[in-house]
Amino acid sequence: MEFSDHIKTANVEDVVLRQPLHPPSRGTVCITGHHLLFSDREEGSSRQVLLLLRNIDAIEKRISGSSGTITIKCKDLRVLHLDIPGMEQCLNIAHSIETLSCLDSVSEMYPFFYRPPDLSLHNQWGLSSPEKHYSQIKELHDKWRLSTVNSDYSLCPSYPPAVIVPKSTDDDLLKKVAKFRQGGRFPVLCYYHRKNGMVIMRSSQPLTGANRKRCREDEHLLQAMIDGSDKGYIIDTRSSQQAQQARMTGGGFESKSSYSHWKRLHRQMERGKALQESLIKLVEACGDESHNMDRWLSKLENSKWLSHVQTALSTAGLLAECVERDGHSVLVHGSEGTDSTLLISTLAQLIMDPCCRTLEGFLALLEREWVQAGHPFQQRCAHSAYSHARLQQESPVFLLMLDCVWQVWRQFPLALGFSEALLLRLANEVYASNYGTFLCNSHQERCALGVTENTHCLFQALLRPMERDYYSNPLYEPTELAIWPSVHPQSLQLWRGFFLRWTEHTRQLEEAQEEIRNMVIEWGKLALSDALSMNT
Amino acid sequence: MEFAELIKTPRVDGVVLHRPFMPTVEGTLCLTGHHLILSSRQDNTEELWLLHSNIDSIEKRFVGSVGSIIVKCKDLRVIQLDIPGMEECLNIASSIEALSTLDLVSLMYPFFYRPMFEVIEDGWNSFLPEAAFKDLESMTDEWRLSEVNKDFSVCPSYPPLVAVPKDVDDDTLRKVATFRHSGRFPVLSYYHKKNGMVMMRASQPLTGTNGRRCKEDEKLINATLRPGKRGYIIDTRTINVAQQAKARGGGFESEANYPQWRRIHKALERSNVLQESLIKLVEACNDQSHSMDRWLSKLEASNWQTHVKEILTTACLAAQCIDREGASVLVHGTEGTDSTLQVTSLAQIILDPACRTIRGFQGLVEREWLQAGHPFQQRCAQSAYSNSKPRQEAPVFLLFLDCVWQILRQFPCSFEFSESFLVLLFEHAYASQFGTFLGNSTAERAKLSLPEKTVSLWSWVNRPQELERLTNPLYEANSLVIWPSVAPQSLLLWEGVFLRWNRSSKCLDEAYEEMVHIIEYNKELQNKVNTLRRQLAQLETEDPLLQTP
Repeated sequence: MEFSDHIKTANVEDVVLRQPLHPPSRGTVCITGHHLLFSDREEGSSRQVLLLLRNIDAIEKRISGSSGTITIKCKDLRVLHLDIPGMEQCLNIAHSIETLSCLDSVSEMYPFFYRPPDLSLHNQWGLSSPEKHYSQIKELHDKWRLSTVNSDYSLCPSYPPAVIVPKSTDDDLLKKVAKFRQGGRFPVLCYYHRKNGMVIMRSSQPLTGANRKRCREDEHLLQAMIDGSDKGYIIDTRSSQQAQQARMTGGGFESKSSYSHWKRLHRQMERGKALQESLIKLVEACGDESHNMDRWLSKLENSKWLSHVQTALSTAGLLAECVERDGHSVLVHGSEGTDSTLLISTLAQLIMDPCCRTLEGFLALLEREWVQAGHPFQQRCAHSAYSHARLQQESPVFLLMLDCVWQVWRQFPLALGFSEALLLRLANEVYASNYGTFLCNSHQERCALGVTENTHCLFQALLRPMERDYYSNPLYEPTELAIWPSVHPQSLQLWRGFFLRWTEHTRQLEEAQEEIRNMVIEWGKLALSDALSMNT
Repeated sequence: MEFAELIKTPRVDGVVLHRPFMPTVEGTLCLTGHHLILSSRQDNTEELWLLHSNIDSIEKRFVGSVGSIIVKCKDLRVIQLDIPGMEECLNIASSIEALSTLDLVSLMYPFFYRPMFEVIEDGWNSFLPEAAFKDLESMTDEWRLSEVNKDFSVCPSYPPLVAVPKDVDDDTLRKVATFRHSGRFPVLSYYHKKNGMVMMRASQPLTGTNGRRCKEDEKLINATLRPGKRGYIIDTRTINVAQQAKARGGGFESEANYPQWRRIHKALERSNVLQESLIKLVEACNDQSHSMDRWLSKLEASNWQTHVKEILTTACLAAQCIDREGASVLVHGTEGTDSTLQVTSLAQIILDPACRTIRGFQGLVEREWLQAGHPFQQRCAQSAYSNSKPRQEAPVFLLFLDCVWQILRQFPCSFEFSESFLVLLFEHAYASQFGTFLGNSTAERAKLSLPEKTVSLWSWVNRPQELERLTNPLYEANSLVIWPSVAPQSLLLWEGVFLRWNRSSKCLDEAYEEMVHIIEYNKELQNKVNTLRRQLAQLETEDPLLQTP
C-alpha cells in the first residue's frame, strides 16, 4: 500500500493555524505519509510546525459554509485548530489524518523512514542488555548465571533471549517453571543490591488455578533465590481478593504451604483500563475552563490519578524497604508481570541505586525494565487521553512511572542527574517518535521487524553532547544514599509540567528554568576559559 | 502586673523536646516573661526560643508522672515538650497559657526587645506618607496631601496625611467622612503613571434604606475622572450583601447618583468565613491519613484556594480597568479595611514594577496595610489552632501574601524578593520582636509610642545580610504589567507556609542554596572575564603589535 493512496489533497494554502502559546498564523498545510507540515507564509517570519501524524490522538471537524475547522488533539496533550478554506479540502485533509495517524503496520511507521544526517544506522543500538548488566555486576557471578534458554523466544515470547537466573537452576528446570507462570514469565533477576547482596526478581503470576496446582521447580527456583537466607518477600501488586479470584481463571498466587519461606504482601495497584480512564478524566479536568476551584479540585480527585501515583510510589517504597532496610530478597509480580510489576521494580531501583539516577543510568534502567522486559508499548500507547476509539489494551503505565519519577525529582532536586525535560521528552516519545525504541510489544517483535537495524535508538540519541547537556540536571549532586520519597498525599503534586504544559502560565516557569540552565552552561564555559587563562 | 506572678515554675530540667524533622533534644526548659526557652547546654544542638505570643494553643497529656505539652504555634508549627513531674508540667502549662494570651499591648515583647544589631536606617521613618507623595508629585499635580485627619478625628483608622484630589478642600472631606463607614472617605491608593488613571479606596457609603445621598461624596470621586470618562467602582461584596447592608445603614453608590461610575460586584468572603477556612485548611494539611481522596476533599472543603482565586481575580479586574480600559477605579467593601486592601495592594503588584522590589514591597505593606488601617492586632490575635471563640480574627493578610506567592511562582524572575520574605512577613504579623505589626491603626501606634519604644521590622530587614537572604537570585527587573493566571489549575497550595512543618525541606533547601551558589559564582566569573577583557583591550591599544589580524 502506498501512503499516497490516503492523501487526496496534499497541499492547502491559506490555512489559519491556532495553537496554544502562539498567536494564530496563516500559511500552507501539507500532508505527507507521516507528517502534517504547516508553514507560515507571513512576512518576516518563517515558522513551521511539523507534527508526526502518529502523535494525533483524535480529530474533530466542523464545517460551516464553504470552510471548515479541524481540531487536532495530540497524544502529547496539545490541541491545535486548522481553519481550512474549502469544504472538500477540509474533508480530504481530515480523512488523510484519520487514516494515516492510526496505521497498524509497524514497519510503515516513521522510525523506519527517519534518516537524520548526523546519525548512522551502524551506531550502537541501546545502552544495556541482560548480558551487559550481568557482566557489570561481578558480585553476581558466584550464585547467578546468564541463561540463554529463551534464545528462540519459545519459553517466553515477551522475554529477551538472555535472562539472569540462580546458578543452581538449569535450563530444563526453567522450561518447567515457564509453563507454570502466565505468559511463560518465569522469575528472573532484575536488581542486585550491592550493599547487602539482596535481589529483586520479577515474574508473572503462578498458574495454580482453582485446584491449587503446585510446581516443585518453581518452588526450587524461588528457594535458590534466597539461598542462605531465612526468608524472602513476595510483593503481589493485586489485593489478596483479586489474587484469590485470579485462581478461577487459571492464575493464582504462591500459597504459604508451598512456599513456606516466603511472606506474601498484597498491594492493590490499578491497572489497564482503569488507569486509562483515570488519565482521560485527569486530562479532561485539566482542560476544564469553568474557572471554578471546587469543580477543579473535585475533578482532580475524581480522576484518581494522584491516588495511583501515591499507590505506585508507596508500593515501590515498600519494595525498597524490604530490600534495603529489612535485608531480604523480593519477588514482584501481579498478573501478567508486564505493567505494575515493572512500574514498581523501576521505582524501587531509582530509590535504592545511585547508578540508576544518572542520565545514562536511568535510560539504561528504562531499557532493561521496560523495553527488554517486554512492556507492550505498542498496545499500551496506541492512544492517549483524547481518543474516541474504544479502549483496547491502552494504559498509561509508562506515563504513570514518569510521573512518579517526577515526584521523586521534585522532592530530591539534587539527587537525580536528569531534568524534568527528559521526563517530558520520554512522555512524548513513548506515544509518537522518530526513533524505534518504543516500537512493538517485545524484543521478539522488534527482532522480527529488524527494528535495531532499520531505525535509530532514542536512548543513544539522547546521549549526544547537545542533548546530554539539555537533559542533565544542572543541580545534580550524586548521593550514595537511598532516597525515600514522601508518599503523604500532601507531598504529591499534579505534574503540571506535563498535564498543564500547553497552558499559558507554565511558560514563565519554563523561562526561569531555561535561565538557570543557561547560567550553568555559561558557568561551565567560563570555568573552562578561566582555567585556560590561568594556565597561560 | 509582674510577669513573675504568672511564672510558677521558671525552669525544669530533663525536658525532652520533639520537633518535626529534627532530632529530639533533652535539656532545661526556662520560662521568661516573653519566651519559652529550651537549651541542651551543648554547643552543637540548636536551642529553642519561642515567643509566647507565637503560641496559639496548648494541649496537655499525661502518661504516668510524665506530662506532655503540645504547643501549637501561630506559624503553624507543632512541637511537643515531655516534662517530668506532673506539678511542673501543670505549672508550665498554665504559665504558657497566661503568658501567651496577654491582652495588654504595652506588655508585649517589642516593648522589651533591644536590638542586637546596628540600626542603619530607622524603619519607622522609611515609608512616610510625605515621601510617597513626593513621588506622586513628580508625576502629576492633580493631587494634594491633606492634613484633615491630623488628629485622627475625621477617620480614626486613617493616617494623619492622605492624598486626595487637589480641587477638594478639607471641609468637603469632613462631610464625605460622615457619609462613609467609620469615616473612611475615598483616598488615593495608586496612580498609574502610564495613563494617569488612579485607584482609590474607601468604605461603603452610608446611604441607608432611604437612599441618602451626599453631594460632596459624588463631587470627590467625580473629581478623579477625566472629562467624558467613566470610572469603575469595584464593590467586594455581592449585590445581595450590598443591598442587605442598607438595612444597617450602609449601602452602595446608586446609578442615579453616580451616573459616571459603573459598579461591579465581586464576592470576597468576610473575616469569620476566612478564619474558618484557614482552620479547615491547616487541619487538612496536618491530616495523617494516607488517603489521597481524603486530602483532596478536605483541601476542597476548606475553600482556601477558592478565596485565593477570588481575590486574585478581583485584583486582576481592578488592574484591567486601569491598564486596559484606561479608567479610574474606586474599591470598597463594607469597612474598607480588609478585602479592599487585598484588592488594591495586589492590583499594584500586577501593575507597578516598583512594588515587586524588596523595598517597594515594604512600602506597599506600609501604605496599603499598616497606614491604611488594617487592624493587624485584631486579625492576627489568633491563628489556625486557637480553641477560643474567634472574635475579630481573620487571615486577611495571610491570604494577601498567599496571592503574592502565587504571582511570584508564576513570574519567578519578576520579583526582587524570594518566598522567604513572604514567609517572614507572615510570621511577624502574628508574633514578633518588632513593633511594626502592633496596634490596629496609625492612631493606636502613635498612642502607644511604638516608633519611640519599639524597633521596626524594616530596620532589621534593610540590612545587607538580611537583604541578601531575602533576595531572589533570579530577579531581572521587569517593567511590564504582569497578568497572573487565575485558572484554578494554575493556583497551588502554598507549601512554604502550609506544609512547612509537615515535610522535610532539607533537600529543597539544599537545592535552592546550590542554585544561589551557582548564580553567584556565575556573576563572579563574569566579572572576572569582563576585567580580563578590559585589560586585554587596554594592552591592545597600548601595544599595537599585540593586535591580532
